[in-house]
Amino acid sequence: MAAPEKLDLPPPFEDAMRSLEREIMRFILRLTRDREDSLDLFQETWLRAYRAYPSLRSKSGLRPWVFSIAGNLCRNRARDRRRRERVIANDGRDPEFEAARFLHADHGSHDGVISLRRALAALPGKQGRALIMRKFGGMEYAEIAVALECSPESARASVYQALKKLKASQ
Amino acid sequence: MNPSKVTKSSDATAEADDRAVDTMVRRARAGIRRAMKVLRRPEARVGIIASPIGRLMVAEGPRGIAAIHFLWTGAADEALARLRRRFDLLDNETWRENFNRELDRYFRGDIAVLDRPVDLSLVESEFKRRALMRLREVPSGSVTTYQALAADCGAPDAQRAIGTTMATNPIPLFVPCHRVIRSDGTIGNYGGGVKNKLILLRNEGFEVGSSLKLPASAVMGHRRTLIYCRPDCGAARRSNPARALIFADARHARAAGLRACKLCKPG
Repeated sequence: MAAPEKLDLPPPFEDAMRSLEREIMRFILRLTRDREDSLDLFQETWLRAYRAYPSLRSKSGLRPWVFSIAGNLCRNRARDRRRRERVIANDGRDPEFEAARFLHADHGSHDGVISLRRALAALPGKQGRALIMRKFGGMEYAEIAVALECSPESARASVYQALKKLKASQ
Repeated sequence: MNPSKVTKSSDATAEADDRAVDTMVRRARAGIRRAMKVLRRPEARVGIIASPIGRLMVAEGPRGIAAIHFLWTGAADEALARLRRRFDLLDNETWRENFNRELDRYFRGDIAVLDRPVDLSLVESEFKRRALMRLREVPSGSVTTYQALAADCGAPDAQRAIGTTMATNPIPLFVPCHRVIRSDGTIGNYGGGVKNKLILLRNEGFEVGSSLKLPASAVMGHRRTLIYCRPDCGAARRSNPARALIFADARHARAAGLRACKLCKPG
């Protein structure tokens, strides 16, 4: 009789969450630069991940998959915020003041950190997310490609372009 | 500036950052836990088990066995995906070993193993669920026909629907679709292969030969009158087919609580 084999199941959801939660929180913090927003998006990321967990085929795809959920949620939040700010600006408020408040809302006041955050914020969305995943998340280009729904070459090019722009801004 | 001072200060910033991240994660976890109480799917243990009828993927939820899939028939990915939509799956080795031992007991003749509770939540149609529950009432050592089962479900002309229900039975073995045969006495098809249907029927006392017909020793039983007869007995022919069963032999009929017909004296 052949020996029973093991199924290629993703880990139990709680284990998956425990293994990635700090990385995901850092990723979201870097993208949003706002603690309350980050908390909210972090919870939303994991609740969405749980709902969609049955669609994840194997354990190897877990990391880029959760990063792509978090990245998409952050992008949606930023888009909504931009829309709202546009409406506020039309109401007669100062959009520059709102943007400055948004940028400085996070912890830390070191000049270098702030200028880096500003430079990151100025990057186009895909390049910014690719750079954060590569340099702060330590992800492989293949994983970034899955998270950003593009080819690994495109992910590599996004990181390269982002770095080039950062260097130029210094 | 002294470079060692810069390194120390950036280490301290990183540590402070780590602490801040940990605090935020802890805060968020509480909210996630609360929301998950509503969303959570029931847990089910799942594993691959080697048996005399081939490798099986078995899943057991909190309410009972939820799925058994013959791996040699393919489509294991689809079966697993269906299970994952309904349950949070855990591959638990201790459970798998215990289940394997139970299945061994069945194949050594302990038919009572199949009385374990089942969870039919993967069955979407009400008719199918009813048919499968009625089938659970067919005792070991006996079989029914597609036609009789259809009549038992209140739809005497629905034998083809019963055939489809048997073909898509998510829990073969524990919902004993191997105990459903054709009205002409041949054993018919089986989702897990006719060879395996033969193994299961023989394990439950039917000496089915290479002609794939029921043995001559088989007797007709009736669940309402609790009487069993020879197949050619006039009383058996007149009885309501919805409550009729075919037993492997008189011994099995007696074991199920039936008595012999006084007209045909089946032994």
